[in-house]
Amino acid sequence: MKNLFTIICSLFFASSSLLAQDCETIVANCEKYLNGQSGPQFISDGQVYTAFLDREKAEFKTTFYGGTTYRIAASAGSKEDYVIFTVKDMEGNVLFTNKNHKNSPYWDFKVPQTIPVIIQTELDLDKKVTGCAVMLIGFKQ
Amino acid sequence: MKINRFLLLGLLSFSIVACTETADDQKDTIDAEIIDPSSSLNTNFDGKIFSIPSPIQTALLIKSTSKTYYGDLLNPISNADKYNTEYSRALNLGIYGADLGYASLYDQKSATINYLATVEKITSALGLEGAFDKTFMSRYESNITNQDSMMIVVSDAFKNADLFLKNSNRKATSSLILTGGWIESMHFACQLTQKTKSEEFKARIGEQKQTLVTIIEILKEYNKMETNDALIAQMSDLLVSFEEITMNYTYAEPETNAAKKMTTLKHSISFDFSEKTLNDISEKLSKIRTSIIS
Repeated sequence: MKNLFTIICSLFFASSSLLAQDCETIVANCEKYLNGQSGPQFISDGQVYTAFLDREKAEFKTTFYGGTTYRIAASAGSKEDYVIFTVKDMEGNVLFTNKNHKNSPYWDFKVPQTIPVIIQTELDLDKKVTGCAVMLIGFKQ
Repeated sequence: MKINRFLLLGLLSFSIVACTETADDQKDTIDAEIIDPSSSLNTNFDGKIFSIPSPIQTALLIKSTSKTYYGDLLNPISNADKYNTEYSRALNLGIYGADLGYASLYDQKSATINYLATVEKITSALGLEGAFDKTFMSRYESNITNQDSMMIVVSDAFKNADLFLKNSNRKATSSLILTGGWIESMHFACQLTQKTKSEEFKARIGEQKQTLVTIIEILKEYNKMETNDALIAQMSDLLVSFEEITMNYTYAEPETNAAKKMTTLKHSISFDFSEKTLNDISEKLSKIRTSIIS
């Protein structure tokens, strides 16, 4: 019984470690979308947003400041169209979804005036049903 | 025992799935039985997601509005030796990170080097040397004459620290660094509003209600040892003053340029609040910051 518990714990931690490794690979992929082909243009907001998604959406709130251009980059693997992300205002109006643009892995937002927003992320279930999803946000004045 | 065998079988299946995903990302779909929605394995391992705007953004706004550098706004580097707990180090790393950004933007070379050394010292004490390693120093030194590039290098280092902390399940530390950064950027905005009477700084303060709500949530989420209790109480009191701010928002349909992968937002928004509310916020924030840096 004690041995069985040890095996279960070992497997659990091994699985968690593999997930973390999987996510780290995807972070590197996502950074390419944030930086673009001509090198870094956007300053990272200093955070890495990761979630292990199955068929649910991950959601968070943030504020886009006026006079700034933001880039949202998202990745869930080697192919660039795994992730759907949607930006809404606090009233629920959809400001943008990459679903209408072939699940583009990045998009820029010119923000003349400040706005609190809700960002939703999900996997495109036609392409990938489960896995780590990573989002990065960058900005430039 | 029977249940344990099923659990073991489930974990083995999960491990195989995880291994397959890592080794071969080309496998796009997984059998339906593996993604049984009733399975406890189909959970979000990262927990809730929180986002705190970068303090560098506020520093950039300050630079575009005020030509004068106020070194007295920064947390003196001599305070760094006082911070000997993970809690105080993490909060003050956020504060010093914002200070480093502010000094860098005003091309204060001596201050920048001193604050960089302080940030390195605290990151080392927190076990985050990897984020501010030789590669970082080399990138920083080669970009020291280019402020935009320097901001990218410093923000990347903080992003690496955030990833490292999240991967090593130290999200409480990560959340305190973000909180410290926000407090310092708000300190800049409040102090400069008083010094310059700038409406732009005042507006930046009014825009922070959502971020403050998120900070209180994040502090509550990662508070297992109850170390955040006092700070949560202070921030909740600060929120009482922020509740006095009225947001007037009117939605307008954004314009999207698909070829440029760019959407331009078209809404209008304003934040109305009295001088008393501004003073209350400044006073409360100053007390919070003082309790952290002293």
